[in-house]
Amino acid sequence: MSAQVHAARAATAPSLDVLSRLLRDPAGVAQRCREEDNLGQITATALVAITLGAAVFGGVIGSFRGGVQIGYAAIKIPLALLATLALCTPGFHAFSATLGRAFPLRSVVSLSLAAAARAALVLLASAPVLWLMFDLGLDYHQAALAAAFAYGLAGLAALGVLLRGLGAGKGRVLTALGFVALFFAVAGQTSWILRPYLVRPRTESPPFLRAREGGFGDAVLKSGRSSMGIFDEDLTTHEHSWEEDSYEHAPAAPRSPEPRTWPAVRAVPEAAVPAEGAEGAEGAVPAAPAAPAAPAVRAVPAAPERQEGGL
Amino acid sequence: MRAGWTAAFLTPDPAAPVDLRAEAARFCTGAGLAALYGLALGTREGGVSLLRHAVGVPAALVAVAGLAVPALFIALALFDAPLDPPRVVAASARAAASAGLILAGVAPAAALYVVSSNGEGAAIVAGGLGLVLGGVAGVSRLLRELGAGLAGQSEVRRLATGVVFAGFALFATALAARVWWATLPIFGGVS
Repeated sequence: MSAQVHAARAATAPSLDVLSRLLRDPAGVAQRCREEDNLGQITATALVAITLGAAVFGGVIGSFRGGVQIGYAAIKIPLALLATLALCTPGFHAFSATLGRAFPLRSVVSLSLAAAARAALVLLASAPVLWLMFDLGLDYHQAALAAAFAYGLAGLAALGVLLRGLGAGKGRVLTALGFVALFFAVAGQTSWILRPYLVRPRTESPPFLRAREGGFGDAVLKSGRSSMGIFDEDLTTHEHSWEEDSYEHAPAAPRSPEPRTWPAVRAVPEAAVPAEGAEGAEGAVPAAPAAPAAPAVRAVPAAPERQEGGL
Repeated sequence: MRAGWTAAFLTPDPAAPVDLRAEAARFCTGAGLAALYGLALGTREGGVSLLRHAVGVPAALVAVAGLAVPALFIALALFDAPLDPPRVVAASARAAASAGLILAGVAPAAALYVVSSNGEGAAIVAGGLGLVLGGVAGVSRLLRELGAGLAGQSEVRRLATGVVFAGFALFATALAARVWWATLPIFGGVS
């Protein structure tokens, strides 16, 4: 009896071998998912990899501001990833089935987890590089770009597992496109709900979650319109309420021992500020690239931003 | 690879004779899955809206199967297409199954958008996208199933069939949109 229990536990315990195979042999793991071979071990290992990899990456993202934000981001990034997978998997199953690959649901679940685990391992690998870049003085926008680049690499790694898992045959590319589109739509909204992740060092008290405002779709739409020079009238009030309820910006204190002589922030009228939208996008960039457009009057750094707080 | 429930649900043995009772069950299951998407849309307002959406979404499948498919069969018969009614019924049921499965699959994502979007516009777009996906899956499955039985036709008949299929796709889209527009509160329908 105890031997059976031991065997059952071993079959569902996370395994370093599976972890190694996820990186070295994605085709083999994908095949095992399709053939329902030892799925318990694959899913358990994948869940551990996702949680660990995304948490470490989140911690590094949070370290841009430092302090409590490290913990916040370390919790929220794995949460966003796992919630996205939970919401997407039924859709993945439906897409693959209607496009000619009627895999059992458990195969689709394990394949999705395996793909996400591979992505999380890439995020884990990129975390120290990102941390070093932050430490060398990346500003907010560069940090967001660097994080987005890491996400891109992780996405490519995941896609490798996914495409192999779908196997050859008609409808493979369309199915993969469907997966990617659904994943991005859901990940965008989930990340939007759970933001901020990347917060400027001068932010005095970052909230765990921002107040509910718009959504990923609204932000993409508004940013698209802003980029074409079309500004919605409600943006001013929108931004106003946002700043009121979410952020307290501390006066920027220099990080270096020598005090700065320039003013920390200055008010700039709307017309003078290019409305790229990223100023208001603190925390949204790594997981949800789009962000609301600029407020009528906003604070812009008058000096190099990466001067205080952080790592 | 072991064939799961979904495989049996979507792709029954093509060589087997049509079992109308099984196809009716398949259609009802597809409609039931579509109702899950309706529930997801109803979560924005909650309460009775859940029920209204749960009825409204599969209503379009019923309308297309009850109104558009018979018209399609008649039009194809005019060109002497080799189709018998049980085959058309089976194709309709499988199309409803495909549409229902897609709708149920994207229901959690739709619920996320519908519940967490502040603006009505985002909720409407998200809800509408799911319906479009389900509709495309259903119509394309139906036409693929029927088209497979029409292989080996003359050039003229193939052209005529293509025109009929295109007309059906247009009509089914318009009909489904009309039903959803009229019945789903999220689009300003009955509330």
